[in-house]
Amino acid sequence: MITVERVSKRYGRGAPVLSEVDLTLEPGVTVITGGNGSGKSTLLRIVSGTTAPTSGRVGGVPKPVGYVPERFPAGMRLSTDDYLRHMAAIRRLPTDVARARAAELLARLAFHGESTAPMATLSKGNTQKVAIAQALLAEPALLVLDEPWSGLDDAAAVVLGELLGEAVDGGAVALVTDHLGHARRLPGACLVQLRAGVLQPGAAPNSLVSIELDRAADHLDLLRAMPGVVRATAAGTRVSAVAAREHSDGLLAEALRLGCSVRGVRLQSGAAR
Amino acid sequence: MTALVRYLLADLVRSQRYLPVVIAFLAVLGVLYSGDPGDPVSAYAGSCVMVYPIAAWFAVVVATAEDPVQRTVTAVTAGGWGRLQVGVAGLATLGAVTLSVLGAVAPVLISGHPYGPVEVAIGLGAHLSCSFTGTAVGLLVSRPVINRIGWTAVAAMGIVVITFPLKRMPPVGAVLGLLSDRDVGHALPVLAGSGALAAVLLVVATAVSRFAARRS
Repeated sequence: MITVERVSKRYGRGAPVLSEVDLTLEPGVTVITGGNGSGKSTLLRIVSGTTAPTSGRVGGVPKPVGYVPERFPAGMRLSTDDYLRHMAAIRRLPTDVARARAAELLARLAFHGESTAPMATLSKGNTQKVAIAQALLAEPALLVLDEPWSGLDDAAAVVLGELLGEAVDGGAVALVTDHLGHARRLPGACLVQLRAGVLQPGAAPNSLVSIELDRAADHLDLLRAMPGVVRATAAGTRVSAVAAREHSDGLLAEALRLGCSVRGVRLQSGAAR
Repeated sequence: MTALVRYLLADLVRSQRYLPVVIAFLAVLGVLYSGDPGDPVSAYAGSCVMVYPIAAWFAVVVATAEDPVQRTVTAVTAGGWGRLQVGVAGLATLGAVTLSVLGAVAPVLISGHPYGPVEVAIGLGAHLSCSFTGTAVGLLVSRPVINRIGWTAVAAMGIVVITFPLKRMPPVGAVLGLLSDRDVGHALPVLAGSGALAAVLLVVATAVSRFAARRS
């Protein structure tokens, strides 16, 4: 378990980016939500150890750590093969294990670039796939992923969810930001909201709402694609949906607009984990 | 740690930013030894004066070769900023050793004077003291301590210019004095003392850069 205790961060003499953040991270996926500039990336940088908090402390960080920054640099000079080979060597992976693992990750993510050409020539999506691959090379005990879905195509986005699920099944802690809505749909994902560097109280345990809809089965795919929907299943004409609390009003409004009938709305207390 | 240094070296080689440094030092050696450099020991003073800022320049190149975000990924991969900055310092030091060997061997190959093993050993020791000091200066003034390359250049030149007039002060002044006096009898204690001090400066610079990296 990772403990974040009263962590604050300010850069230079600027306003604090994070204020007195208290958080415990258990094995599983924790999603940090919040608007632009709410301090998400800074919190991730602190937990991953790439920057130190101005005050407070982070304890119990397991090793190894895998990190995907918000924007992986586009101008890398080494080729994909060379870069992953070097990263694996720094992590002390045996050469044959490293080669197999890198090939497996790139294949599953459907990397379609020239793996012997400089990485600067890769598209944004392919670069992001290499960024994810380097973080997952050594079966990390802590995964810190800052907007890892950005630039990925739909198929790779699903694969990333599977890879995260496998890491978490192996006991890893995953700390993720994601404004595309993929992370919150992961099974067991715990949502934590930051606003202007302050953790929002009560956001985590009661963050899911289950909604029962009638005359909704025809719209199942549409409802599933709504932001914040964790899962939606149909039985006859009825649909049972589970959505993040901050998106439940939007989901209800859309359901009513589609002509569905709302049969019940219930807060899932403690169901986030 | 070897794997980290090899990665940093591979990235540096691809960047080609080491080339101007090496060419500058080779040009210095060519100019110094193409004419008559005079006494073997005192002739080393010229290239020792130049290896100090050039080693600092090389350390700046090593410290700033990677994109800053790429470097955070490398730091996490290496297991933290401490290990990463040791790797950076290690590669910068390897460069300083390479420049020192070039500086010590060049007159043997280029100039017409006969050089004995004692003179070459003194030359190598003198170059190592000066280049290690330069490496420490380069690490102290570049990212992550000073994040803007213009200020890095100003700070590096400032430190080099201020420390040159410090005659007889180890590590650089004492070594240059030793060479210009041809004081071969006192070579061992002077070089050992200056070399040790230069090594301490390197360790301090590495520690400062690690501290700065975590704060940024």
